[in-house]
Amino acid sequence: MSKLDKMKEKYDGIPIPEELTIRVQQEILRSQRQQEEKDNAAHRNRFRRIISNMAVTAAAVCILFTAALNTSPVFAVEAAKLPVIGGLARILTFRSYETEKDDIVVAVEIPTIEMIEKDTGTSVDGINQEILARCNEYADSAVLRAEEYRTAFLETGGTLEEWAKHNIKITVSYEIKQQGNDYLSFVVRGTENWTNAYNQSKYYNLDLRTGKLVTLEDMLGSDYAKLADRSIRQQISERQNAGETFFTAEQGGFTGISEDTKFYINQNNDPVIVFEKYEIAPGSSGEIEFVIEG
Amino acid sequence: MKSTLYEGLIQYILENQERFYRVAYSYTRHQEDALDAVQSAVCKALEAHESIKNADAVKTWFYKILINECLTVLKKRSRLVLTADAAEQETYCEKGYEQGDDLEQELNKLDIDVQGIIKLRFFEEMSLKEISAITGFNLNTVKTKLYRGLKLLKENIQEADL
Repeated sequence: MSKLDKMKEKYDGIPIPEELTIRVQQEILRSQRQQEEKDNAAHRNRFRRIISNMAVTAAAVCILFTAALNTSPVFAVEAAKLPVIGGLARILTFRSYETEKDDIVVAVEIPTIEMIEKDTGTSVDGINQEILARCNEYADSAVLRAEEYRTAFLETGGTLEEWAKHNIKITVSYEIKQQGNDYLSFVVRGTENWTNAYNQSKYYNLDLRTGKLVTLEDMLGSDYAKLADRSIRQQISERQNAGETFFTAEQGGFTGISEDTKFYINQNNDPVIVFEKYEIAPGSSGEIEFVIEG
Repeated sequence: MKSTLYEGLIQYILENQERFYRVAYSYTRHQEDALDAVQSAVCKALEAHESIKNADAVKTWFYKILINECLTVLKKRSRLVLTADAAEQETYCEKGYEQGDDLEQELNKLDIDVQGIIKLRFFEEMSLKEISAITGFNLNTVKTKLYRGLKLLKENIQEADL
């Protein structure tokens, strides 16, 4: 039936509105975001299991880590660069690499905690393992996302040259907040320079006496939420008076902290609560910090 | 692994979005409605991605959702049209898909199920088995509906030619 063929031709020629890609992309991004939140929750649970299994796995992990550290030339170089800042432990770059494929640059710097005094009886291998897994997972999924973006870009008429100009870069890095006698506090960040949707930051606060991660409750007592909320509200109103803008509660602004609220420990051993860009204020304010003096 | 199925679904959607749009457009014959149908199909598919058991079924599974969304849009519209002026119906026929072709006109007169089967078979070039999975009719029903539809088309066109 040639008339059907003609109709098929016409069907194939149905013009595709530009809006299609945008609307499809919108749904995908939204879903990926939800998915990531779910994954994070699962990850937290997994992390708890790792900690509880730590005693069992510690021996095995120990061998693995020692072998990796000793065979990594990067480690030797990086370790030489870092001064020892007293204390019981320090942060080292466990692994650092930069790769480039399809004009997607991946720069990764994975930290690891090293106990300097070996006989403290504490083990940080579980935490180190979690950091490593998290960094690798982030880098892998970010590369996947960038590759998807590349495919979509090329399929919708973009050229390789235009793609290269995007200068896509995925970064995993860390920043030490405090490296003292009592606490070790640092943040590991993952960023993709073409989207904010997947940026991740994870704060690690280690009590060096116990070798355990510290919670806000450990720092401020059982009334920590009330205490921190009061202090943050007061600081917000002070800053508003000084001309800063914050979202209202209806706009998704500050409504109170939870046990998952991010924080680090500053040089005075006070917890500093951190809100991500866009979390409680316009993006122009960047990350927002509140020192909670206990 | 579950997450690779999820990534696979995203990949599939990105690669085939234009096909989805054409299907939606052939059902709704309206750009905005077709975009709505595709968008809500993508949204629902991603929300329900955990119900995909294997990667091979993604295609029929997605089309099922998509066609469902198209029918929902059509239903919504027929409710609107009932209350609106009859003249407004004309506005739903867009340029680039004129009603000029007699075969096309005849096709659009057929039962919506039959229309769908013919479109999937000839435009989307799907197997009868795939169509059966998408529409939920069993294979024999799909065959019967397809051949009856084609016969009707032939008859009607010949009549028109006379």
